[in-house]
Amino acid sequence: MPHTSTRLSTGDDLETLVRPAEGLISRCIFADPEIYGLELERIFARSWFFIGHESEVPDPGDIVARQCGVDPVILVRDESGVVRAFLNSCRHRGMRVCRTDRDHAKSLRCPYHGWSYSTSGALLAASSEHHYGEGELDKSELGLIPVARLGSYRGLVFGSWDANAPALEDWLGDMRWYMDIIFGRTGEIEFVGVPQVWEVECSWKFATDNFTDNFHVYWAHQSLVELGMLPSDPDFASHGHMVTAGNGHILHFVHGAPGVDAFQGLGLPKSLWPRFQQNLNPAQAAIAQAHGYSAGTMWPNFHWLQLVTAGDTSSEPIGILNLRLEVPLTPTRTRMYSWFAIDKEASPEYRKHSYETYVRSFGPAGIFDQDDMENWEECTVAAKGPAAKRYALHHKMGLGRTPDPRWTGPGVSYADSYGEMTQRAWYAEWLRCMQRPTRATPALLRPALAKAAT
Amino acid sequence: MNAIVSKESTSVARTASARKFDPACAPGSPVYGEILHFLYQEAELLDDCRFEQWLGLFSDDIHYTMPVRTTQFRARGAGFQDVSFFDDNINSLSTRVKRLQTGAAWAETPPSRTRHFLSNILVAPGERANEYAVSAGFMVTRSRGDQGYQFFTGLREDLLRRLDSGVFRIARRQILVDQTIITGTNLSIFF
Repeated sequence: MPHTSTRLSTGDDLETLVRPAEGLISRCIFADPEIYGLELERIFARSWFFIGHESEVPDPGDIVARQCGVDPVILVRDESGVVRAFLNSCRHRGMRVCRTDRDHAKSLRCPYHGWSYSTSGALLAASSEHHYGEGELDKSELGLIPVARLGSYRGLVFGSWDANAPALEDWLGDMRWYMDIIFGRTGEIEFVGVPQVWEVECSWKFATDNFTDNFHVYWAHQSLVELGMLPSDPDFASHGHMVTAGNGHILHFVHGAPGVDAFQGLGLPKSLWPRFQQNLNPAQAAIAQAHGYSAGTMWPNFHWLQLVTAGDTSSEPIGILNLRLEVPLTPTRTRMYSWFAIDKEASPEYRKHSYETYVRSFGPAGIFDQDDMENWEECTVAAKGPAAKRYALHHKMGLGRTPDPRWTGPGVSYADSYGEMTQRAWYAEWLRCMQRPTRATPALLRPALAKAAT
Repeated sequence: MNAIVSKESTSVARTASARKFDPACAPGSPVYGEILHFLYQEAELLDDCRFEQWLGLFSDDIHYTMPVRTTQFRARGAGFQDVSFFDDNINSLSTRVKRLQTGAAWAETPPSRTRHFLSNILVAPGERANEYAVSAGFMVTRSRGDQGYQFFTGLREDLLRRLDSGVFRIARRQILVDQTIITGTNLSIFF
């Protein structure tokens, strides 16, 4: 029987604890183990999740180890060039078959009993096969378990463990229009090298909340204001629009204060701006041209940060594209992934400057990022107690604001990039997903799994 | 900038330990003693949060890096990548120090309590007459707020340059961490 209740053992209902329409979110959802258990079943086993970028596995036989949701997967380009993703677990005893972060191989052999798999997931050989009796080993049924649904958009590979999940393009919906701007503005984007990976003692949701929060920048990154690396106006990041694009996807586009023209063209060199018209439709190109900063969340835990910033007090600000993923390990511990990405059309000089600026500003050592992690950990510490959960966090900014009909993109847009409409949309989707029935485990034991490939 | 897209960094190499035994800078030699003293003093500056003085130990052409490491089979190398956690020059290192002095760098305000331990120190002559390749194993402990300890371990590969005045400056530092996933919240401390 599917488990559909949203009532916790404490007697609280999720609907009482999370009230997006009122801007009230209980602290306990950021620490409670029971809620986390429901998240694993109802979100991480059901939704679409970013796994990696096609440019990370450019050649047949290229493999990277990642997660889809929270389950370990390998992302592999098979011998025919198709990108696939499989549960990183041998069909025999369940050992991880890929134990490195990246590899290049013709096949994968499990070190436990020697079962080996092709890069397209087929079981090539089991161990001591002649000791199996008739019907005891059906190799055609024992390939690596594919991620139930796999799809890609603009080179970004997403997977879902729910064979009945909506198609990727339907799930992304209107968000694709904005992803085109970020990932298609000058042609193709490539992820450069490997991600930085680190772990923070925080709820994964404090990080997701942060990446659609523009008005923390002035205070949380006050040190950079004092160094003159950020404008001294507390409203400097408020000039723009925020958009709720459906299915929990949310984003911001920010331009400079009136009269400030340095904060546009997504921070890209002006020589690349003509490409906006070539690669985007007129409305998209106008948005790319007019804004310098954008943050977007592909629900629930994958984000782009398109920023204009400087890596140090002596350098000129420049555009950077940073991709972020939070993978929860426990209710209060999260593995963070941070990638640097860049336009393939970028000049070597721009590429070098943008990379240096990224690595000095973002990631665990970034002078921007460091202070965010401090906030997420401290918020988590204060959310753990039984008293804390009686009290809601405050997400009411802009509760009465009406949509701006002048915005030319899809979704619901609001003028002024300071507000909590995007967070409320995120939590509304969280609640909707948490109200879905939890699948009974036996359904997962069916051997016939959908063929999944991009 | 093709270098940063390659899968395996070619720039990471052991320096001091790869050289032959040289009695002129082996343990017990005057140079070894001077360098040991210099490194211990540097560790003390870091642990005492005297970051401006610490910054003064670097030459203007410093390249201070901590490459990201990945788990991979031995045949494919040690796993160090061209993407880094730190990739600093004197300007960006100086910015980091100035940031800590603003009083608003929340990751270090209030400050972490660190201890920099060094061991397995080897010294070899550098390419130039006044330079030394120094490798040192490190363990850095960090205690922050009411949290438990965080540990960072690895190998530092330094290029030390002796100025005409006789003092040393750090001209290059590669921080080769043992972890592929940093488990310590952030890297708001120095190595």
